[in-house]
Amino acid sequence: MPLTTDEAVSSPCGSTPEEPLLEVRGICKRYGPVVALDGVHAAFPRGEVHAILGENGAGKTTLMRILAGEETADGGQIYLDGQPVHFRSPYSARRHGISMVHQHFALADSLTVAENLALTLAEPREWRLRRRALAERAQYWAKVVGLEVPPLASPVGDLSVGARQRLEILKALVRGPRVLILDEPTAVLTPQETEQLFALVRRLRSQERTILFISHKLAEVRDLADRVTVLRQGRVVAQARAPFGNMQTLVEAMVGEPQMEWARPPAQIGQERLSLDRVCTDADPFGTPLRSVSLSVRAGEIFGIAGVDGNGQRELFEVLAGMRPLKSGSLRIHGTTVAARDPKDLLDAGVGLVPPDRRREGLVSEMSVVENLLLHRRTLARFTRRYAILDWLAARRYAQRLVEEYSIRVPDLESEAATLSGGNQQRLILARELAARPQILVAAYPTRGLDFAATQFVYRTLAASAAAGTAVVLISTDLEEILALSDRVAVLYRGKLSKSLAPPIDPVRLGALMAGLEADSAR
Amino acid sequence: MRPAIAELTPSLFAIVLALGVSAVVVWLTGSSPAAAFAALLEGAFGSRDSLAEVTVKACPLTLTGLAVALAFRANLWNIGVEGQLLVGALAMAAAAQVVGSSLPKPLALLVGLGAAAAGGALWAALPAVLRLRRGVNEVIATIMLNFVAAAVLSYLVQGPLMEPGGRYPQTEALPPEFVLPRLAPYRLHLGFPVALLAAVALQFGLFRTRHGFELRAAGLNPAAARLAGIPVERRLFWAFVLSGAFAGLAGGIELSAITRRLYERFSPGWGYTAIAVGLLGRLSPLGVVAAALFFGALDAGSNAMQRAAGVSAVVVYVIQGCVILFLATFERWRRASAQGS
Repeated sequence: MPLTTDEAVSSPCGSTPEEPLLEVRGICKRYGPVVALDGVHAAFPRGEVHAILGENGAGKTTLMRILAGEETADGGQIYLDGQPVHFRSPYSARRHGISMVHQHFALADSLTVAENLALTLAEPREWRLRRRALAERAQYWAKVVGLEVPPLASPVGDLSVGARQRLEILKALVRGPRVLILDEPTAVLTPQETEQLFALVRRLRSQERTILFISHKLAEVRDLADRVTVLRQGRVVAQARAPFGNMQTLVEAMVGEPQMEWARPPAQIGQERLSLDRVCTDADPFGTPLRSVSLSVRAGEIFGIAGVDGNGQRELFEVLAGMRPLKSGSLRIHGTTVAARDPKDLLDAGVGLVPPDRRREGLVSEMSVVENLLLHRRTLARFTRRYAILDWLAARRYAQRLVEEYSIRVPDLESEAATLSGGNQQRLILARELAARPQILVAAYPTRGLDFAATQFVYRTLAASAAAGTAVVLISTDLEEILALSDRVAVLYRGKLSKSLAPPIDPVRLGALMAGLEADSAR
Repeated sequence: MRPAIAELTPSLFAIVLALGVSAVVVWLTGSSPAAAFAALLEGAFGSRDSLAEVTVKACPLTLTGLAVALAFRANLWNIGVEGQLLVGALAMAAAAQVVGSSLPKPLALLVGLGAAAAGGALWAALPAVLRLRRGVNEVIATIMLNFVAAAVLSYLVQGPLMEPGGRYPQTEALPPEFVLPRLAPYRLHLGFPVALLAAVALQFGLFRTRHGFELRAAGLNPAAARLAGIPVERRLFWAFVLSGAFAGLAGGIELSAITRRLYERFSPGWGYTAIAVGLLGRLSPLGVVAAALFFGALDAGSNAMQRAAGVSAVVVYVIQGCVILFLATFERWRRASAQGS
């Protein structure tokens, strides 16, 4: 694998025989005291798929936003076709043929597909909304780029995540860009949708377009990319061309230290802590109801629930959190049936919750680190004195201890939770839940969007918690995660849970279950 | 809990800028801004009498500002403080008519102000239930209830509660047992310390107690609060009701200490100014006190300004309006920069 190192990269670029379509030299960007980009050099040749690798906070998104005209660099220069260019806005970048698709979609959920497209498709001077003309234009562009458009009349809020992303990509493609930037495009997609996306990316490449995509997932990079640029702490630390061979070198460049192999010590399995018996939930228009789900989780065990997103994971979490009423069936904790009407019923029964959506459900972002560490019924009770007065002194000491124990990096205890990185937010949530000494821990997507170090921390913490006797339910779409951590695994597919598998688990069998291939025979 | 000073910085900036804008307005009308502001200051702080007047104006603004701050903290947009204030005053007037002079003064006051708080609370409970049980938008419900309250007041002071034998559409003067004592030869009355006490109590309640903590969490992020086992609906309901009680108390105190009678134009729109006070005070109870004093000083000084400098008292509204505009602008900037990083 041709791999250039730090020294080689910092030498002047531009000596490549063929001129790259897009090139950056010495790009710098700082936000207050934080240096996001520190003299980045990189060249992006025509008709290639170029992956940008790096941990969270390495500067990938910032670099892409600068290329898309959403941010202006503090220093350095962008060259397009060898000519220096300045983008003052996303609009001016788009006119130069650079479009970006964000990880978080910029779509109006309550408007229809056609109306969302109108925002992009309308001519600059067109002030009247002509639906039919717009629809025709949308179909035309969809055909040109070879993309299936979701039904034009349906509200975007009703679309699946994959369909929304296709809509975003279509929006980005209608002006015929030469450079398409995708920010972590697969983070939200199912495997099938990911395959569709990759096919599209390859088709775009064959049209001599350059695709830049940000990713955490090495397997994707290996499958798709012609070239890789690795960023760490705002600098380019490695560049490589396909074939990449052993990805270990790239991982090392990304992480900055040799990747540690992660292995879980064998578990001491105890008595049953939590069980579901033929649980069904009511249908709701945007979800997948659970259909006769049974499971049993014992002390000291990590029970992995695999599956493609949208097959009832949210519903299962809500049942285990006491937020969703059961239509039939029962939930038992320590063998006793619990009729939960509210999360507090389950929290009181000893359940800890790591919710799927950190920012929206796990934290109150406007509250301080201390306050968020207190945000648990049992913890609050612990620090409540007479007349409902909170003992802030003790609470602050407690928070300080947790911050140290879980190495949560915070400016100080009073800073808002919103200012923490995703990894530190997740550490905070884990610290809060585990410090309340749960008998049962339900963790949904605990490492989604986290970087390597934070992910490893979550794995170690979950394993340690199980080793201490907690019954852990791990709901995740990340197969590697499920396989690495779980003592037993079951697969959710269309609201039904498969029989549980015990190690050694064959990933192919698991994949078949996730794709629904065994759903019928399992019954 | 963040240092209060840092929280109030945007408010101070907004005030300075608003004063700047109004200075330009005064200058454009051909008067001297310096003279106008000097007269304003003199009118507000020039004598003990005027200082007392500032507290008189600040008293209802503090209590209604607290009502707004508490509800907004719960993410409930209680625009109905005006109506709750009127119902509170009505409840006190009604209680006074029923009880008459049969109770000794402290007890009568307790009954009267208790009725006022209860009246306001009840008027707020209605939209609270509608919102939390049925999802009815509380902004619309509370605005509508303001009109209902005003209409009920209008009907009562022209009919059932109209002073016997009088010609004016107003209630009979309160029996002396129901009148809040004054604290000085000026108009400074017991209501102001009560309002201050309410602010301190609310500050303590919000930031030092478990219920306050749960209320703030439930207001900022109901989903996370629910998963933490906090009874979200209950907290929000009581926040709304308590907000109404503060508003009702404001009406009761004003009736008892200043007007002694109820009539149609009883409130010059305190419930609406209260929104500005709450926002300027950054929804913090102690900040609300400061904001109420500022607005009270503007109000008290404006007449002096009109007399001494010949500048219309309306300039005060320019200042008030600009303060809110600038605050909203700062808030938008703050959000934009928070998202950008």
